[in-house]
Amino acid sequence: MTIAADTPRRKRPFWTIERRDAAAGYAFIAPQLIGIVTFVLFPLGLVFYYSLHEWNVLANTFNYVGAANYQMLLADKALPQVLLSSAVFSAGLVVLNMSLALLLAVLLDQKLKGITLFRTLFFSPVVVSLVAWTIVWSFLLQNNGGINGLLQLIGVEGPNWLRTPTTAMISVIVVQVFKNVGLNMILFLAALQGVPRELYEAARVDGAGRFKQFRRITLPLISPTILLTSIITIVGSLQVFAQIAVLTQGGPGMTTTVLVYYLYQQAFQFHFFGYGSTLSILLFVIVALLTFVQWQMRKRIVFYEN
Amino acid sequence: MKTDLSPRMKVALYGLMCVLLIPFVFPTWWMLTSSVKPISDIFAFPPDLWPRRFDFSTYARVFELQPFARQYWNSAYIAALVTGGTMIISSMAGYAFARIKFPFSNAIFMVVLLGLLIPSEVTIVPLFQMFLKWGMINTHWPLILVPIFGAPSVFATFVMRQFFIALPVELEEAARVDGLGRFKIFWLIALPLAKPALGAVAIFTFLHSWNLYLEPIVFLSSTQMFTLPQALTQFTDAYGGAMWNIQLAAATMTAIPVLLVFIVAQKQFVEGLAHTGLKG
Amino acid sequence: MAPVTLKSITKSYGTTPVLHGIDIDIADGEFVVLVGPSGCGKSTLLRMIAGLETVTGGDISIGARVVNDLEPKDRDIAMVFQNYALYPHMTVATNMGFSLEHRGAGKAEIAERVNWAADILGLRPLLDRYPRQLSGGQRQRVAMGRAIVRNPQVFLFDEPLSNLDAKLRVVMRGEIKGLHQRLGVTTVYVTHDQVEAMTMADKIVVMNGGRVEQVGAPLDLYDRPANLFVAGFIGSPAMNAIAGRITADGFMAGDVTLPLPPGVSRADNAVYGIRPEHLSLAAAGVPAIVKLVEPMGSETQVTLTLGEHTVIGVFRERLKSQPGETVHLQPDLTAIHLFDATTGGRLN
Ligand SMILES: Nc1ncnc2c1ncn2[C@@H]1O[C@H](COP(=O)(O)OP(=O)(O)OP(=O)(O)O)[C@@H](O)[C@H]1O
Ligand SMILES: [Mg+2]
Repeated sequence: MTIAADTPRRKRPFWTIERRDAAAGYAFIAPQLIGIVTFVLFPLGLVFYYSLHEWNVLANTFNYVGAANYQMLLADKALPQVLLSSAVFSAGLVVLNMSLALLLAVLLDQKLKGITLFRTLFFSPVVVSLVAWTIVWSFLLQNNGGINGLLQLIGVEGPNWLRTPTTAMISVIVVQVFKNVGLNMILFLAALQGVPRELYEAARVDGAGRFKQFRRITLPLISPTILLTSIITIVGSLQVFAQIAVLTQGGPGMTTTVLVYYLYQQAFQFHFFGYGSTLSILLFVIVALLTFVQWQMRKRIVFYEN
Repeated sequence: MKTDLSPRMKVALYGLMCVLLIPFVFPTWWMLTSSVKPISDIFAFPPDLWPRRFDFSTYARVFELQPFARQYWNSAYIAALVTGGTMIISSMAGYAFARIKFPFSNAIFMVVLLGLLIPSEVTIVPLFQMFLKWGMINTHWPLILVPIFGAPSVFATFVMRQFFIALPVELEEAARVDGLGRFKIFWLIALPLAKPALGAVAIFTFLHSWNLYLEPIVFLSSTQMFTLPQALTQFTDAYGGAMWNIQLAAATMTAIPVLLVFIVAQKQFVEGLAHTGLKG
Repeated sequence: MAPVTLKSITKSYGTTPVLHGIDIDIADGEFVVLVGPSGCGKSTLLRMIAGLETVTGGDISIGARVVNDLEPKDRDIAMVFQNYALYPHMTVATNMGFSLEHRGAGKAEIAERVNWAADILGLRPLLDRYPRQLSGGQRQRVAMGRAIVRNPQVFLFDEPLSNLDAKLRVVMRGEIKGLHQRLGVTTVYVTHDQVEAMTMADKIVVMNGGRVEQVGAPLDLYDRPANLFVAGFIGSPAMNAIAGRITADGFMAGDVTLPLPPGVSRADNAVYGIRPEHLSLAAAGVPAIVKLVEPMGSETQVTLTLGEHTVIGVFRERLKSQPGETVHLQPDLTAIHLFDATTGGRLN
């Protein structure tokens, strides 16, 4: 046995394998990291900085006002309505989207001829330009538009969908659900198809019916997918803008003015950049909070994780 | 639950799916047919599922009212650049986070993931100020740079990382023994095998860019620079009323090419999406 | 072709040590097999030779060079992986020529080397296929082809046969051995299958818990295991080990007395080792009760109870003994292994 001590210490080169690899790693992530810092994190800092200022571009004022914008936020009479609209929109969207996606995925998971065609058709709105899709619906939902025309054929007098508070909100939600439910549908379908068939067979041997199999096997096994898609859907619902702008412009009244739309109005229509920034901070906090809460909930709702 | 279904069950399922399909398919149909109806027929009662008269001049009018070809090109090249850029940047970053050991990689990954919580709606005000300072307002730079580096590309990085984590390490080790350096391993081994994930990333990114609406209306002011979503809302008459048939013609031209590409490549499309690593 | 020297090699993952000072000399052209139970560090050691794991301490030399800080590609080695690691998106020919391509070889040279390797391994008809179109054995051959085209100094194999069925494993074992005899390249081969080790190796390195237990030619290890671990690890069925005392009258294990060869010194805490085939049946000898008889065709394996111990005997004859019957065992006195029960070291 040679003793390590009596072999003379070789001088190791500076570029050891580890160092070279680390350098490669940094080089690989550099564009992304620099981009994130420049176009996401730095602006986020700026938003916060701006939110402490009263800043009106038209009047050319930019003054430090401390928490004044935040006090304004609390005192803003329109804000409760805006938050309510956002909440109603997001909640309605997520519930409708997730349940419809699940229903469609289960249907598409059946052994039927021509199922691919159905899959393609259900998915197709996802690839239709968002504004084009919204414009068609706007056209359909006009007072004298296609939907009311069809309703009239069966003797029903339809409401003026986009000009009545409740139906305006419902319309905005439904238009968005049909546009994007295909995405979640596909993700759920992939998850369903990943459930091992033996489990169903075992359950059938144990005497579980279809519904029970779904509740006790399918749902637990696809719950990680449900969680992830629900996070993505919620965060996405908070960013809705084009649909509102095209369909209702936030109206009637402010019933469909969601937070992003309100933010846009304050900053870019009324040029209150300081207050707009404060609203941005609010939006960020809400997104972060919701994501965090859902992530924490995963232990309770996700029965299974691999 | 793929058990064989009874014939009655099958009929019921087909019926249910056909009914459910209506709101997914009918709007596209309505868009197509209404775009070739003369304006007088557009709100006809009872509604015409097939135009009783055709007026194809709507399509020509689209180009007269707006520099529509130019706007089309704007949207197309921006989406192409964003998609290409994101694929490069996020596949590299995703690869490094999945495969290369370097100090603080987990911490840095967390920082990058923060980007998912900060959609550009949150940072739109400072972004506007930054681009104003850089003289990039009413240029396409914001529409290119923000998605390539912002939340959509973070999502793409996440997808790519999930994919690369699942790729057998032995392949890369074999490549190292065969004499490849990191970059070549990435380029010649990992990336060619990542086609499904890259496909998903490409779809998501393309659609994101193609659908952008808030950013163009904030950053762009001249019709020459407009992108399609923005242009579509501009077809109004002197009183601000929508010129429906012309608007729908423009919408049709916007929607149909992507739809056709999708139908041709739908298998890769859907399988790509199913590969996003969101399966849990 | 080059010798490989491992000098005081240690390896830790973080603060967990996995290899505790390994010294192995591998001569030029030698076929060395690393064996040991799962988790003992064989793969780690092999991967360190390949350059896929960094060296925590000690030196690895290939030829005259210390290669610790060299990239795998600069070590002039080739490796065959357990799951073959064929590039799924390349044909067999491209897979095999890939390393040459990246060492700047010309097209003609690559084609020539690939064809040469393909001929040796019988891969000619498969060159245009993709890995997914091959059977397990064919993939294995392609993986070997990829290793030999480059004519490296050292071949490294990490359990290359473990994904094959038993029959194919025997075939490929022969092929690898044949390849080594033909090319004469220094080879380090990892397996946990001691039959592979015995049949293929010029020299076996038995490892356990990150240490080398014994290095030697296969039959030397079989005939004179240096300690209880090697004794138990090499040979199948394993050597019988009976704890007891060495006395002047024989080996005392409970109320059983086993015969000893002459001239062994007394020890109170010892283990008596005898391989199953070194037991024979005789009219007189140590009485034992038959528990289980397993005829194998060429031989008969019998499980017996010897006092409170269970031993296994393998006999050339076809026995008609029934369970419960008492037989008499005669150990071959020239083939008895005695070990110290506490250190495990060999006593005779
Ligand atoms: N990347 C790693 N991080 C931490 N510990 C590791 C790592 N790789 C291996 N180990 C540990 O090192 C020890 C040796 O592992 P190694 O893979 O070399 O075993 P092996 O002898 O090849 O076993 P097997 O026959 O199962 O392949 C094991 O205890 C293992 O848990
Ligand atoms: Mg191993």
